Amino acid sequence: MKKIRHYYLAAVIQSAVLAAASPVARAQDATTDGYVTRKEYEELKAQMLAMKKELEAIKKEKGAVPKQESAESQAVADLHKEVAPPVVEPEGPLLGTTKFYLGGWAEGMFEARNGRVSTFSASFNPIFLWELTPKLLFESRLEIEPSGGGTNVNLVYAQLSYLLNDYITLGVGEFFSPSNVFVERFEPQWINKLPDRPLAVYHGILPNISVGAEVRGGFPIGPTRANYAFYISNGPSLNAFDPRNAGTLDFNSYTDNNDDKAVGGRVGFLPIPGVEVGYGFETAKPGFQGTTFAHVRSLVQSVDLDITRDSDLLKGRINLYAQYAWSKVDHAVYDPDGSLGFGPLAFTSKRDGGYAEVAYRPTKMDMDFIRNLEMVFRWDHLSRDPSGLGDPEERRWTLGLDYWLSPSTVVKAAYEWDNPRGEPNRNALLLQAAMGF
Amino acid sequence: MIATVNRCHLAALILLIFVSVSWDVFAGPKASRKTTAESSGAASSDSSMELSGEELWSNNCLRCHNIRPPTMYGNAQWDVIVHHMRVRANITGREQRAIVEFLKSSK
Repeated sequence: MKKIRHYYLAAVIQSAVLAAASPVARAQDATTDGYVTRKEYEELKAQMLAMKKELEAIKKEKGAVPKQESAESQAVADLHKEVAPPVVEPEGPLLGTTKFYLGGWAEGMFEARNGRVSTFSASFNPIFLWELTPKLLFESRLEIEPSGGGTNVNLVYAQLSYLLNDYITLGVGEFFSPSNVFVERFEPQWINKLPDRPLAVYHGILPNISVGAEVRGGFPIGPTRANYAFYISNGPSLNAFDPRNAGTLDFNSYTDNNDDKAVGGRVGFLPIPGVEVGYGFETAKPGFQGTTFAHVRSLVQSVDLDITRDSDLLKGRINLYAQYAWSKVDHAVYDPDGSLGFGPLAFTSKRDGGYAEVAYRPTKMDMDFIRNLEMVFRWDHLSRDPSGLGDPEERRWTLGLDYWLSPSTVVKAAYEWDNPRGEPNRNALLLQAAMGF
Repeated sequence: MIATVNRCHLAALILLIFVSVSWDVFAGPKASRKTTAESSGAASSDSSMELSGEELWSNNCLRCHNIRPPTMYGNAQWDVIVHHMRVRANITGREQRAIVEFLKSSK
């Protein structure tokens, strides 16, 4: 044990001597002439230590800045958490921040009708669509047209609809009456193949616009399809005070005149793609509340047919549209005391009318010019006013030729043979340009 | 009046029968009618449940108006337009999705 201690002591002394001698040896090697004095060595050592301290000070200063910044950022983040609610990422688009589309159509028209002053007319019909969410859509259309010395602006429809599921859509607001297929589908002038609209279904027997609520949709039945639309609305009002139109229904009165609500709808069936048959109806109490007409009930019904077919044999596309409507208003006595000058006039009001239209466009011809042409023929009819004191029965035959400049831009020319019974003809030349956008 | 209505109903019935009977004559050879479906790899069945987006787009839109090319509008615009047409034309949700998918993929 003692011997081992002696070895340790000798090793420690040797190490101390070597450690003391080594800087001297290294300093001697660093000089140009191979040697430095003790004084030079001490000066260099002092300089090195000073530089070392300076370097450490710089490192400390540099390292303190990020720490200070991160502390400030953390403080701001903490403050933000206190004043702002947590941001929750939505699964779908936020309500009211999503998709908008401005579409619509415009048209200019010239009409020269026998017995009337020829005239130009024009209209601009913007359609606004907002898809608030993938299930919620608001849509509205305005009709803006020159009239007299000014401009008329009409709200044509404004409806909010909600897609309940794949087969049911709920709607509320002002909407096209589903029983009127022409108004709902073909009324825009870039879609309507003739410059004017058919009798009976556009003005007369069927409702055009309804204010209320509706439920609608479509569903498959095996290899076929069906669709439906049912609604409740303010309904029409009964014309009772003008001898010319007594007993007819006024569908342009959008505010209600009694507590009764009109109920209507349409069901359609598509046995094969491109063919649809439909039945529509609307029943209401159109009389003013508190009058003798308050309990009079009206019923409007219609059938429609829509066929679209591409034909290789005829080298083109054929469209056949038809709708026939008939209405009945319960027995009533108009002007019962004769104070209006045409009564008492008692009758059950019945009217009927409709149209059939065939169009052919040679879409499979080789020449562009021929492919863009479309020939149209329409027959339409409206029975006389039910009082016998108004407009007579009217039948029209219209032949038209369209030229399509683009899928939604068309120039139309048509001649209409219009023969009201017992009156001079109202034949007309109609020219129109229309564009959908 | 009743006679007039009856005549109109009779005329409509005759027209319907005429169209039904002459359907294949108007449509031309059956082989050529499948061209669209085959070119898009669609099902050959007439069932609306099995029609492709292209067929649904063509069948539903052409019934009322000329169809506009898929490139005419952006994806977001087609979403809104087809949503609007779903409500108007009473097509189902599946048909709406298939048509939108076709329009977006056809650009």
